[in-house]
Formats: sequence, C-alpha cells, structure tokens
Amino acid sequence: MGVNGKDSLIHPSIDKVVVIEGTHAASHAVKLARVQVIAAYPITPQTGVVEKLSEIVSHGDLNAKFIKVESEHSAMASCIGASISGARAFTATSSQGLALMHELLHWAAGSRLPIVMVNVNRALAPPWSIYVDHNDSLSQRDTGWLQFYAESNQEVLDTVLQAYKIAEAVSLPVMINLDAFVLSHTSEPVAIPKQELVDEFLPPWKAEFKVDPANPHAFGALVGPDAYMEMRYKLFEAMEDAREVIRNVDSEYSEKFGRSYGGLVEEYYADDAEVVLITSATAVSTARIAVDEMRSLGFPVGLAKLRTFRPFPVDEIRSLAQRVSKIGVMDRNISFGATGIIYQETKAALYNAPVRPKLFGFIAGLGGRDVTPETIKEMYSHIMNNDTPESETIWVGLKQSQKS
Amino acid sequence: MTKYKFTTVEEMPPLAFSIESTRKIPTGSWRHVRPIYKDKTSPCEVGCPAGEKIPVYFDLVRQKKYEEAWYKILEDNPLPGVTGRVCYHPCEGQCNRTFYDESVAIHNIERFVADKNFHNNPPERISVTDLLKSEKVAVIGSGPAGLSCAYQLARKGYRAVIYEAGHEAGGMLRYGIPHYRLPKNILDKEIGDIVSLGVQIKVDSRIGKNIPWGELEKYDAVFVAVGAMRSKKMSEGQRLNSSRSFGEAEGGDLKGVYSGVEFLYELNTGGSPQIGDKVLVVGGGNTAIDAARSALRLGKSEGSRPLSGKVTVLYRRTRAEMPAVPEEIEEAEKEGVKFEFLVAPVKIIGYRGKVSKIELQRMKLGEPDASGRRKPIPVVDSNFTIQADTIISAIGEEPDLSFLPYSFLKKGVRVFVDDDHSTGVPGIFAGGDAATNPNGTVVNAIRAGKEAAAAIDEFLGWRTKMDGVKQQVVQSEEINTFYFPHEKRAKFPRISVEKSKASFGEVNKTLSEEQALAEVDRCFSCGTCLHCDVCMTFCPDVAILKDEFGEYSIDYDHCKGCGICVNECPREAMELVEEELQWA
Repeated sequence: MGVNGKDSLIHPSIDKVVVIEGTHAASHAVKLARVQVIAAYPITPQTGVVEKLSEIVSHGDLNAKFIKVESEHSAMASCIGASISGARAFTATSSQGLALMHELLHWAAGSRLPIVMVNVNRALAPPWSIYVDHNDSLSQRDTGWLQFYAESNQEVLDTVLQAYKIAEAVSLPVMINLDAFVLSHTSEPVAIPKQELVDEFLPPWKAEFKVDPANPHAFGALVGPDAYMEMRYKLFEAMEDAREVIRNVDSEYSEKFGRSYGGLVEEYYADDAEVVLITSATAVSTARIAVDEMRSLGFPVGLAKLRTFRPFPVDEIRSLAQRVSKIGVMDRNISFGATGIIYQETKAALYNAPVRPKLFGFIAGLGGRDVTPETIKEMYSHIMNNDTPESETIWVGLKQSQKS
Repeated sequence: MTKYKFTTVEEMPPLAFSIESTRKIPTGSWRHVRPIYKDKTSPCEVGCPAGEKIPVYFDLVRQKKYEEAWYKILEDNPLPGVTGRVCYHPCEGQCNRTFYDESVAIHNIERFVADKNFHNNPPERISVTDLLKSEKVAVIGSGPAGLSCAYQLARKGYRAVIYEAGHEAGGMLRYGIPHYRLPKNILDKEIGDIVSLGVQIKVDSRIGKNIPWGELEKYDAVFVAVGAMRSKKMSEGQRLNSSRSFGEAEGGDLKGVYSGVEFLYELNTGGSPQIGDKVLVVGGGNTAIDAARSALRLGKSEGSRPLSGKVTVLYRRTRAEMPAVPEEIEEAEKEGVKFEFLVAPVKIIGYRGKVSKIELQRMKLGEPDASGRRKPIPVVDSNFTIQADTIISAIGEEPDLSFLPYSFLKKGVRVFVDDDHSTGVPGIFAGGDAATNPNGTVVNAIRAGKEAAAAIDEFLGWRTKMDGVKQQVVQSEEINTFYFPHEKRAKFPRISVEKSKASFGEVNKTLSEEQALAEVDRCFSCGTCLHCDVCMTFCPDVAILKDEFGEYSIDYDHCKGCGICVNECPREAMELVEEELQWA
C-alpha cells in the first residue's frame, strides 16, 4: 500500500474498498473522472485498463464514446480529435505502443490538450520483453507531456483523478506510468472515492478553445519564425507553472480524500539522513523496506520518491542536496552513450546549486529484473563505502564474471 | 473581423489556430473526384417479386411511422397481411446480412406492418391519379394475380371488374391455404381494402358457364388470372417414373382418395373430409404440406380417433429437392408429420370400394433435370406395399382453360404469354398460375398482376413504356459492417406445437413492436440513406451540410474529394465520381 498504510482505507470519502489490479485501478479512475471519449489499442500489459473500460462503457456505467482503433497512433489521434472539440479524453498504452504514438504526443502537447494517458511501463524490444523498465516513457521526455510514476494501485487511481485537474489547469497532457506486472497485474486493496466528491473535485472541463463545425478554423496551424518561439515559450511556461499546480492539487486532494503523495517528490527518512537514494515507481516501496531495515541497524539512510519526471523537481532535489552528504539515483532505464536518465537530470539540477553532494548513478531492474530490498541495500552500501562513484553507471545485479 | 496583431508572448493564444475561418479557403479546387449521394438498389428489393421497397418501408418502421410504411408496401402489393404470412420470402434469400450473421426477418416485418394497420383503410392517395379513365378492364379470377391487377388498375383510374367463379373472392388464398396459416379475416380485410378503392368483384360468375365469354366484349381489356386449381392426376404425374402407371380408374375412384386441392377446398369451405388413421400424402410441394398438416389437425380436432402421428408425406426425391417452403416442412415435422423420401406410388389397392393399401416403388436420384433438381429414377424390383386408409394426392396443379373461346397459343396446359403478359390476342392478357410464367407462389402472382396492369395501361394508350434505369445492386462486401454489431435475428412467436397441431387456429404470431423495432435495426438499409450523419461526422472539411428537413448537401467549394464520407457510409448510399476537368 505504500506510504499511506492501512489508514488510507478508512476515510469518509471512501465509497468502497476493492481488491483490484493496477490496470483496473486506472479504469475505475477514468469512470470517476467522467471521461467522455476513450480510444485505445490493446497491448500487454495495458490491456486490462481498456478491457475494464469497455465493460464499464458497454454496461452504461460511463457515458463515454469508446472508439476502437487500429493502432496507438490512431488512438492518440482520436483523443486529440476528442479533446480539441472539448471532450475529456483518455487512452492507455505501453512500450512499443507508446513509441508508435510519438509523433502525436508532440501534437497533443503543442495543441495544449489536457489528454490523460496511462502508460504501463514495459521494456522496449528487441530483445522482446513484456516486463517492466522505464525506457519507454523516458524516451518521450521532450514531447511536452507531464509524467507521473505511481508506487501503488491506489496511487494510480488517485493520480489519474489529480491528472485531469492538473492537465486542465495548465492545458498540457499528462502521462501516468505504472510498472508492468508489479502493479499492472498485482491486486491490492484500493479505496474507491465517492462519485459526488470526485465531481466536486473535478468539475466538467470547459475548453477555452475548441473546434466548432459552425465556424471552422484550422488548428495546429502553421506559424512563421516570428511566432514559433513564443508559442514554445508558452508551453515551457505552462510546464513551469505545473509545479505549483501539482503541489496544490495534491494538497486539495489530501484534504478531500485523505491521501497525499507529496506533490512532486515524497521524502522518507530524508530529514536526518546522510545518504539518500532517489528512485521512482514500485522500487520505492521496496526501498522503504530496505531503509526501515538499515535504520533499525543504525545506518543514516533515507529515500526520495520521484513522483514526477516532467516537470523535473529541481527545487525539491536542491533542497534535499542541502541536507545530505551523498545522493544515489536508481535508474530503471539506460540512455546509451550516457548514463541513467534520472541520474543525468539530477546532476543537471544540481550543477548550479549552492551545495553539490556526491552523486552515485545505479542501473537496476531492466526488463523486469527483480529489484529486491537486497538490491537496494547493495546501493546504499556502495554509497556509504565510497567517497566518489567508481563509474558514472554502476550496474547492480549484472551477471558479470569478473565482478567481485 | 478583428485584425489580430501579436507582438509579444503575452498577447499570443496558447495554441496555434487560424484567426479567420477556413471557409475563406476554397479547398474544393483541389478536388478531382466528387462525392455524391446516390441511392442504390438493395438485393432484397430485387429478390422480392412484388418489388416492395423494403429499405424504404423499413426506415418508416424505424421511425414508428407504421401507416406510412404500410402505404409504401401498398404501392407494390395490396396483400401484405397475406404475403406477410404465406410468402416464401425470396427477399430474405438475397439479404446481404446473410453473409454477416443471419438474414433480416423481412417477412415478419411485412406482417407486423400489415397487422399494425388491420383497422386502417388505405388512403385516397394510394391512387396514383385522380383522373378517372373511361376504359374498363375485366379480370377473370380473384386470386392474388387477379386482385393485384385489378387493384393496380384501380389505382391508375380504371374501372376494374373481377369475375370470380367461386362464392367468395380470393382464389387459392381462400380455398387452397389452410386457416392455420392464413386466417380468413386477414384475407377478407385486404380484399375489402381493394374493393374500397373501386374494384368490383362479381362472385359466382364462372366465365363460360353462367357468364358467357361474350359479356367480356364490352371491356377494353381482359386479364386472365384463373390460376391452377385442378389437381394433376397421379397417373400424369408419375408417367415418367413408372413403367406401370395407373390411371384414375386404377384406384382413383376408391373411397378415401382425395386430391390435395379438393381436400383443402372442402376444409376451407367449412366441410370436414372423412379421413382415416393412416393418411398418406403424395407430393413435395406446399399443397402436400398444407394437406398433411391439415389432416393431422383434422384427426386431433375430431378427438374420437387419435391419429398417433400417422400422417406421412411420400415424396419421390429427397428433402433437398422438395419445392415446399423449408419452414413449412420444419413446422410439419415439429407437429409430427412423417416423411418418406425416394418413393413413388404405383397403384392404390382397394378393399370393398375403400382404400386399403398403396403399392410404392423405391427411387434413386439421377442427373439434374430441367428444373435443376436431381431426377428420380425407379429402382428395379423395389416395389412394396403399405397400409393406408386415406390417400391425398398433391403432385401439382394445373389451370382449367376450357372456357377460352380462342385457340390461344398454349404451351402445355397454360396460356402462352410474352414478358409483358400479352397473349397475342390484342387486349387479352394473362398471368399467375394460368400463364406460362408461373412458379406457383402468391408473390409471383402479385407481381404478374402488377406487371399486367402496367401493360394494360400501356395498351390502352395512357402510359408510355419506360425503360427503368437499372440501378446498381449493393453487394455484401460494400457494406461497412463496422457499424453493425452482430445481432440475433428475431424469432417469430408461435403457439406451442401441442396447441397448434390440435386446432386450425393460426400457428405463427406477429412480432411485438419491440421485436420489430429491433429487427429493422438489423437491416443494413443497403443503398438507401438513413440520414445517420456518419458522412457529416467524418468530413474533415465540414463540407457536408444538413438542412432543416434533414437532407444533406455537399459544399463543393470546400470538399476536397478525399472520399472519407463515401468510404465510411455504412450502406453504400454515396459514391465518388470523376470530376469533369474544365480547362478555361
């Protein structure tokens, strides 16, 4: 259950508690958000999201148009069409499907459409894999989408609801990522909030600009060099504004529903820690166990959960840097020719910071390789035992003959 | 329009869109093909001999305009309550939905529409003209062909007089079809409607008997539609199959031998033919099945003599070659009629003037004959005898043309007619089962009557022959089945087999309104626009407009000719045509 523990299952805002998979947690959230258009193409391990939604729509439990499409590219195109005409739109995908959407991800963000997408993180092929790592979503870093990473099924549901509110406030699309199988196909207790409270939290979206057949205009029109830069600046600004919006929406959500995720970053035993590990998604709950165990043995370790990757939580990381002596970053991804992606971003965030602790970059858990408390403890040990990292990428759990 | 001038980030909108409406850009000039709305012919319409505009009246049913739907059918067929019950519905055999899941239950919808209007009368406007013409036309016979012809003539403003030999109008509809398939109140209602349009019916008027042929000379045209009311003798029917044929004398005079037509006539005129415990019906057509199912009921309804399933149909080919409507065969089987295939009667054996046995010969199937069905060939030395006390021979009917004064061109026993139903004697037309192009069905007789009325109209100089523009027929692969979820065909309600086989009450019931509405929704409406807005929804250029009456038009100033509307149209009611390029 992650941070909120059992208490989160008892709250006046809760309609019922169900034991469901991560994919279905997303579907329930879409229903609660009263999404009007759903277009998606099935791909393992995302299929459950859409399967459940198709049931919900066909049973009449959600008044939405469910569009069957022939590819993820069309799915995103349909969502763009829906959103540009003022409808709340949703899609879900994974891995290769997300890669196929790439062109239209730019289109959605450039058109400033508050589409929400669930991406079930799955390693990219080849070699073929259906298991988790984060290269699929991180490859979409520069598309202009906000990116969230969820630690639990409850967080999936809550983040989808928050995402519409954030997206519609800043006019940008939001991607919510959850780990393949570890969340997508694992059942957990999930509190379903009362519909009327969700309706209060998330009123119908009123689009400021939308297509009108009675008065047709071209959208996504050509602009000259005299205006393109300004349009990009506006998008940049919106992403900057999103930081504050994310924090506010999370606290509003917390007030109404009793659950909070700390905005962009949630710290765990970081205040008095000397060594902190930054990581995201389900590795965070594993790291919590490692931290608990190491703390009980007297090691001053802490944890920072990176909830958003875009916008990147620069302020939060700089604040952390002022308090600790060493920071480790666990990346469940790899940028070939460079390092782990979050490691790079963390380094970049700190370069102009007043205090720059030593940074250690770990690569672990690619293609579904298990990340256990032992894996995490190995990282903490490495940080504690070394003044500086032995290399820019430290592969943890790699089957290497020469490795001691 | 306000002129926008953005100079700073703050002034700019968050997204790029055209300041002015794209209507300003006449993208129509890009087009080299243009979409047009063009209704096409549905295969069911082609399959319907009466030519009912099925997709059109289905659309009216969809809109719950049941009276309008009825009027639409009445343009082609004055007897929808009858055909809705007894038609062999070749329309359904052509239905494009057959290739997708199951054909649409057109037949049941026709009946639904007719029954919804049971208490309504056809309106004045069912007539095509207000002009009353001075010409008079005589129609001989009030079966479906005669009624249809007289009705269409009346609609065209002629005075039509039907001469009917029987005591009541209807021909085979009244005397040949049992009550459990066609209740007589339905027939009476629809004949009443025809009379109300000005058709005069003279009953008990047999031409050549109590009415001389000469009386017809006062008419400007005559339509001969006397049907085929005389049962073929078994000897004639079996001539080809048996080396030892038997004549009427050889068993035909025995007590307990009926012809199918006689048997049904007696039943339909209130009689109760005497039948025994072991009834054999010879033949594989609708008359045979009607006789068998009636015999079954007769046994039951009398109560005193339980029949214990002893009605057997004997047919010389196999089930696949039976000309009877398949549903009727199934119903007969459900009710307990037995079938014996590949047997032909050789001789009826009597005892003390009554039927006691029948000698049969085994047959096998040979090469296909002229009808396309495999021909029965006798198996040598295969004769056998079975017990019987009633034998109903229903091996086909033929017309009685003895009243005709002219030496008409005849082909076999029928009046030879041309495609337009003319006989070669000016002013005399013929159709239905009496003429050379019959197939023994009600709906084909209705078509013959309708076509003959048009030919008579032309003969009398009021109508010039028009070559109808042959519309393209929509093929199944042209339907965009994406728009049609698989749905089960409506099952018509029927009373229980236990009940049905014990009485002459109607077996099949009319669809409920709910069923009918669900069933019309299954119709693809091949080639007929239903104003479903798919074209409009998909047009990327907002170039399809809908007026206040719900009709579409295409704004060719903006249509780029991309063809998406045509491609998406669920029912092939649009097409793309080449633009004629104009070089200034």
